[in-house]
Parts: sequence; C-alpha cells; structure tokens
Amino acid sequence: MSEPVWGKYGSWEEAEQFLGKVIGEDPGVDAVELGSIRRWLEPKEFACTLHTDAAAAKAAGYRDVVAPSTMVFSYGLPAYWSPGDPHAVMGDEPRQIPIPVIFDVPAPCTLSFASNIDMEFFEPMHVGDRITRISRLVDIKHKELRVGKGAFMTQEDTYTNQANAKVAVVLLTIFRFVPPDKSED
Amino acid sequence: MHASRTFDSVTVGDELQPIAIPITLQRLVMEAGANRDFSLIHHDRDVAKATGAPDAYMNTFFIAGMFERLLREWMGQDGRLNKITGLRMNVFNAIGDTVTFCGKVARAENESRQVEVELWSESEKGKTVTATATVTLP
Repeated sequence: MSEPVWGKYGSWEEAEQFLGKVIGEDPGVDAVELGSIRRWLEPKEFACTLHTDAAAAKAAGYRDVVAPSTMVFSYGLPAYWSPGDPHAVMGDEPRQIPIPVIFDVPAPCTLSFASNIDMEFFEPMHVGDRITRISRLVDIKHKELRVGKGAFMTQEDTYTNQANAKVAVVLLTIFRFVPPDKSED
Repeated sequence: MHASRTFDSVTVGDELQPIAIPITLQRLVMEAGANRDFSLIHHDRDVAKATGAPDAYMNTFFIAGMFERLLREWMGQDGRLNKITGLRMNVFNAIGDTVTFCGKVARAENESRQVEVELWSESEKGKTVTATATVTLP
C-alpha cells in the first residue's frame, strides 16, 4: 500500500499568503430534504419529530421540517461527481472531502487531522433551503506534536441560505503535519 | 403533542441521560454515506491504520451529530441549540469502541434563559472528545 498523502503541497510562505482570504466557496449540491435527513439520523439512532414531521416542527414554531443544526456541514458540500465530469478509472486518487484548508492551501505537510471545532447556529434549515459555504483561512499556528511537525490551520466557514441569511459559522482547525521520519529538517 | 424541558426545571450539575453507541465498520459506512465525508480514514481500515490511528474512526460530523442528539433528547422540541464550542478530539473513537456521549449542566443564565452544558464522550480509552454547548430553553 502506498503512503497516504493529504493536501496541497507547498511552502509555509505560500500558506501565509492565504491568511484572511477566501479559500473556498461551495454552493451545496443538495437542497435540504427529508430523505437526506432520514439517512443522517439513521446511523445515530436519532429520533426527533422536528426532523421528520411537519406538524411537530410547526408546533415547535418552525414553518416546516427542519434539519438538525449540525447537518449544515453536509448541506454545504458540493457533488463528488457531476454530469460532464470525467469518469473514474482504476488507479485514480480517491475523492476526499473538499476541506479548503487541506486541499486548497499549500503547506509542506503530508498528513492531517481535525483537532478543534466551534459551531454557532443562527437561522434553522427548513426543507427546501439551499446552503452555501464560504471558507476563509483565519489562523496558522506552528507546532510540533508527537505525530509530527506542522501547524494548526483554522478555516472559518460561513454557511448561508438562499436568502443570504446566516445559518451557521464554523471554525474548523486542522493539524497538518509531516511524520517525524519524513521531516525535511 | 410534544414535551420540552423548561429553563425553570434545570439545576446546575444536572446530568443528561448518556447515550452509548457501538462503533462498527457498517455504522461508519452508513454515516459517511449520510454526512458525505468520504475521507478514507473514516471507512478504510488500512488507510486509517497507516496514518497512526488504531482503526477507522468517527468523523467530526458524526461526533457533532451525536452531541446534538444528546442535547435534543434532553431539551425536547422547544429548546434551541445555539452553539457547540471547543469541540476537541483527544482520542480516536474507532471500530470496536462503544462510545458514550454525556453531558452536565455547567451554568444557567436567568435573563437569557440560556444554559451551558459541558459535553464529553468516553470509551474504555477514557474521555475521547470534550466540548461545551449553549442552548436556550423555554
């Protein structure tokens, strides 16, 4: 098996140039809808009629069924394949979740993991809503951990709906690093 | 008809009913399909192990969703989830672990009717994830 490598490769100087800038913008491919909500609830064994029953949601003050707040991540994702895209062939790199701070910001790192997340929720996501995510790089903190040398890189994701109302703001911190025996210095 | 917890019924130190969930490859695959985080480390055991993890493990979206379930089951239908902050993943929640999601009321603010809940998950490896939530109760 080959060594796994995640992320756009480049120098720390290149990474610093992205600080404060938009590093990704994705209109979510799917509108908020009952089928995707049900499939999201299923592996969590999460039973709540706000997310499945319009009458229950209306009784709680919503205009229709609402998606769970933390499902906002999924509704801000683009498609992994769309009509017109090339068809996959054996040996292609696997598709990864498009996290801009990993895949659009260059850094001299080969691996990464999510370390911290802060989420604040505003407008609820009703069935039919369409969610867009705009990501900015807001912080880079260099650090050496047991797993390797690298940096905690934070992206701020602002999620809005089709009326441009703020749905959520998420700060996602990813530690990007090189394992000790792969360090360049 | 729906039941909801009211602000007046909450006391600092109250514990939320814990939720235990076994982590299996099937559950991780179901979750990846549902939340659309297809990072290999969350469903390909060999790739996860090659990165130093003990096995394929829960992703951030899954963990956040489990905390939302914990809070929703405690709050009922009329509570509003405002924030989950400082969510920090300290230990992998991997295949073979039974992960229990827990919470405890840390603070209650009369004027805003907001309640701060300390959240954590634990397994046989100890505390695996910590976070804090803020909710508004009727």
